[in-house]
Amino acid sequence: MTTAVAAGAVEYLKTIGLTTNQSGRGFTNPYDCAFTSDGRILILNRCDTVRASLVRIGMMNWEEDYLGEFSRGYGRGDGQWIFPVAMAVDNSTVVYVTDEQQHRITALDTQGNFVRQWGELGTDSGQMNAPAGIALSGDQTLYVVEQGNNRVQRFTTSGESLGMWGEAGDGPGQFNMPWGVGLDSSGNVYVADWRNDRVQKFTADGQFMASYGSSGTGDGQFSRPSGVCVDSAGYIYVSDWGNERVQILDPDGGFVQLLRGQATLSKWAQDFMSVNPDERNTREMSNLTPELPAHLDTPYLISSQIEPYFWGPVSVRLDSEERLYVVESNRHRIQVYQRRKD
Amino acid sequence: MSNADIALMAHLMRRAGFGASRNELEQKVAQGYESVVEDLLNPGSPNAMPDDLIRRFHVDMAEMRELNSAGAYWIYRMVTTDNPLEEKMALFWHSLFATGYSKLNQARSLMNQIDTFRRHSMGSFHTLLVELSKDPAMIIWLDNNDNHKGDINENYGRELLELFSMGIGNYTEDDVKECARAFTGWTLGNAEYMATRASRDSIWPYSRIAWHFQYRDHDHDDGEKTFLGQTGNFNGEDIIDIIVRQEASARFICTRLFQFFAADEVTEAGEAVISDMMATYFDSKYEIRSVLRTLFNSAYFKSDDPRFARVKGPVELVVGAVRLAGTYREPTFGADQLARYTLYMGQGIFQPPSVEGWHEGSEWIDSGALVERVNFVGKELGDPRNPGVQALIDRMSADVDGPLSGAAQVDACADLLGPIVLSDTTRTSLSEFAGEQGAADLREGSRTEADDQRIANLLRLLTATREYQLA
Repeated sequence: MTTAVAAGAVEYLKTIGLTTNQSGRGFTNPYDCAFTSDGRILILNRCDTVRASLVRIGMMNWEEDYLGEFSRGYGRGDGQWIFPVAMAVDNSTVVYVTDEQQHRITALDTQGNFVRQWGELGTDSGQMNAPAGIALSGDQTLYVVEQGNNRVQRFTTSGESLGMWGEAGDGPGQFNMPWGVGLDSSGNVYVADWRNDRVQKFTADGQFMASYGSSGTGDGQFSRPSGVCVDSAGYIYVSDWGNERVQILDPDGGFVQLLRGQATLSKWAQDFMSVNPDERNTREMSNLTPELPAHLDTPYLISSQIEPYFWGPVSVRLDSEERLYVVESNRHRIQVYQRRKD
Repeated sequence: MSNADIALMAHLMRRAGFGASRNELEQKVAQGYESVVEDLLNPGSPNAMPDDLIRRFHVDMAEMRELNSAGAYWIYRMVTTDNPLEEKMALFWHSLFATGYSKLNQARSLMNQIDTFRRHSMGSFHTLLVELSKDPAMIIWLDNNDNHKGDINENYGRELLELFSMGIGNYTEDDVKECARAFTGWTLGNAEYMATRASRDSIWPYSRIAWHFQYRDHDHDDGEKTFLGQTGNFNGEDIIDIIVRQEASARFICTRLFQFFAADEVTEAGEAVISDMMATYFDSKYEIRSVLRTLFNSAYFKSDDPRFARVKGPVELVVGAVRLAGTYREPTFGADQLARYTLYMGQGIFQPPSVEGWHEGSEWIDSGALVERVNFVGKELGDPRNPGVQALIDRMSADVDGPLSGAAQVDACADLLGPIVLSDTTRTSLSEFAGEQGAADLREGSRTEADDQRIANLLRLLTATREYQLA
C-alpha cells in the first residue's frame, strides 16, 4: 500500500530474503544492511534468544545470489556480539557493528577476521552506553548514536573519539533513547530520536539545524522512528517503527509519501514455495490482506496479520543507485523501493 | 492499624494479586478492605512496562514467534501491572480454557487470546464464551476449522460443554452434536493455509502470520437443532445463550473461581459461599465481577478457613517473588528465562498438559518442582542487592532499637514476607540458623553489608518453608 504514485514518487521494486532457522541462505531477525563497492549487500542478523548462536552478517547481491556469511559468533570474546544493532562499511571494506549489550563497536573484515573493537559502559569520551545507529561519512568519520547516553559520538575508524553532543531531554539537541542515524551528501547528520517521536538534523559537528515530526499517526508524525537515511536530492526516508511504515519527507521536512509495505515473494521465497506445494497451493487460495477485527487494529497487530505490510522496520538504507532498503526484523526480509526517474 | 487487618489485606492481595509489600499493605488497609476490593474489580490503567521498550530490547518479544518469549512477555506484564486481579483473571481463564502452543505453533495468536481474556476478564460470562468461540487459537486447538456443514467435528462443541461451562453429566451426546452443528462456519481467515502452516510448524517465507476470526455463512448449518430441550435454528451465540442460563454452568464457574481464589478444597462453609456466588451470577446476568465481589467480601473469605489453604501455582510463585524482589522492572537480559522457570515448576505458560489444563492444589508439589520453586524464590529474595529486598531490610531497619537476635530476625522476616505464621518447629530451626549467623545490627550507622546478607540468607531459607509456598 502506498499513497498515489506521483511523478518522482518512490515505487516498490522487490523483496529480498527469507526466514531461516539456521545459518546460510536466509535472514534471522535482520537489523541493518550495508553495501560494498563491489556490489555485495551485507545483512546484519541480530537473531532472537533461541537462535542467538546464529548471529552473523550474510552476503548476497542484487540478483539474490547467496555469497556467504561471516561473524566471530555470539558471546563476549573479541569480535563477538550479543545484541548487534547496526553497521557501516568503510573504504577498505571493514565492517563496523554496534553492540548495545556490550557497549562497544566491533570491526571485522568480510572474511570474518577480527580487526579491532573499542568501547565500554560509561559516559566519558570513548565510552558508550547502548550504542545503536552508526553511519560513516565521506571523510571516514563514524557517527554512533548512544541510546543510553542520549548522545551522538564521533569516532575515527581506528576508534579514537572525536567528540560528542546531546543529552537526555526533549528540547533541540536533546534525545530520548535515540536509535538510527543517517547522513546527507553535505555531511549533515539526521538522528531518529526514538522516544521523542521525531528526527533531528545537525551539522557534522553537532550544531542543531532542525527537528521534523511529532507524536502521532498522521502524515509527517512518528511513533518511535528507528532509522533514517537521505538521498542525493535531500529527500529524507524514515522507518516509522511504531507505526509500522516508512515516511518520506522533502528536504525541508515536509511530508511527501507514505509506504506501508507491499512485500512479494523473493527469489528465495519462490524457491521455498516451489518445493512445498501444500503451502503454495493453500497460500494461492488465500487473501493475505484481509479485513481484520477491531480489537486487532493497532499498527503492530495489523502487521502481525498482514504479511505484505512492514513489520518491525528497524532500518532504512540507500545503495549506490539510491534504491531504498527497508529492513524488517519481524519478517526476516528487506523490501526495496526506488524513486522513479521521470 | 492492627496486625489482623494487615494479615487480612495480605491474604486478599495474595489471592486477588501476586502479594504486596508491607508499605503497600499499610496503604491499602488505610484505604479500607471493601474499597480495595472495588479497585481490584474495576481496574484503571495498568501502568505496566511499555510495549515499545520491551520490543526494542527483546527482538524475540517483538516478533513473538517463540513460546517462551510470549510467556515472558506476559510475566513482564504480571510483574509490573497496577491491576493484578486483571492478570490473575487472565491466568485463571488460561487455566480453564487451556490452549497449548504445541498444536498451534503461534505464540502471537496465543497472546491475542490472553488479551481477549484480559479484556473480558470480569465482564459477562456470556460475552466471554462468545469471544472464546471466535478465538482463532481456540478454533485451531479444538479443530473447529474442521467443523463443517454436513460434516461436523464435535471437538469444540464437546469441550465447550464439558470443560468450559457445565461439566460432564449435564448434557447428552445429542446435545454435543447439535452444539457442534451450531458452530459450523466459525473458523479463521485463510483457514486452509493457516492450518497447513500450523501443522508443519512453518515459519516460511516471512515468519508467522497471526490469525483472525472469520465466519463462513456458506459453511454454517442453519437447520433446526434441539439443544438442552430447546429447539430452533440455533447459531453459536444462541447455544451460549442457553448454556449460561443453566444452573450447572453457574455451579461450574463459581466452583472454579472459588478454588482458584479461596481454597483448593471446598468445605461445607465453602459450599455456602459457592451458593451465594451462584445467586449473584444469575442476579448480575452472569457478570464475573459481581461473583468475585460476593466471594471477596464474604465472611468466609475473610475468616481463617481459607487462609493459606491454597498451594501457590508456579506462575503466582514466580511473579510474586519477582514483584517482592523488585527485579525485572525494566527490560532485562535473560528475561525469557522467567517463562522457563515456571515450566520447570510444572506450569509452562501456553503449555497445559492437556485441554483440561493443569492439576492444581497439592499436585503442584513434587520433589523436582519443589526444588525449582525453592531455588528460584531463594535466588530472588536471597540477594540483598535486589531493590525489593533492600527495601524490605530498610523497612526492618526503621523499626529496630538494637541488634536483632536470631529469633527476632526470624519474626521480623516472617512478618514482612506475609505476615506468615510459622510452626514452632520451623521457627525454632530458623532461629538456630539465624543465631549461628550472629546478631544483625540494622541500626543506622551500625548496619553493614554483612548484616544485610544475614537477613537475605534468612529470607532465602524462609522461602523454602511450607508456609511461604502456600497462598
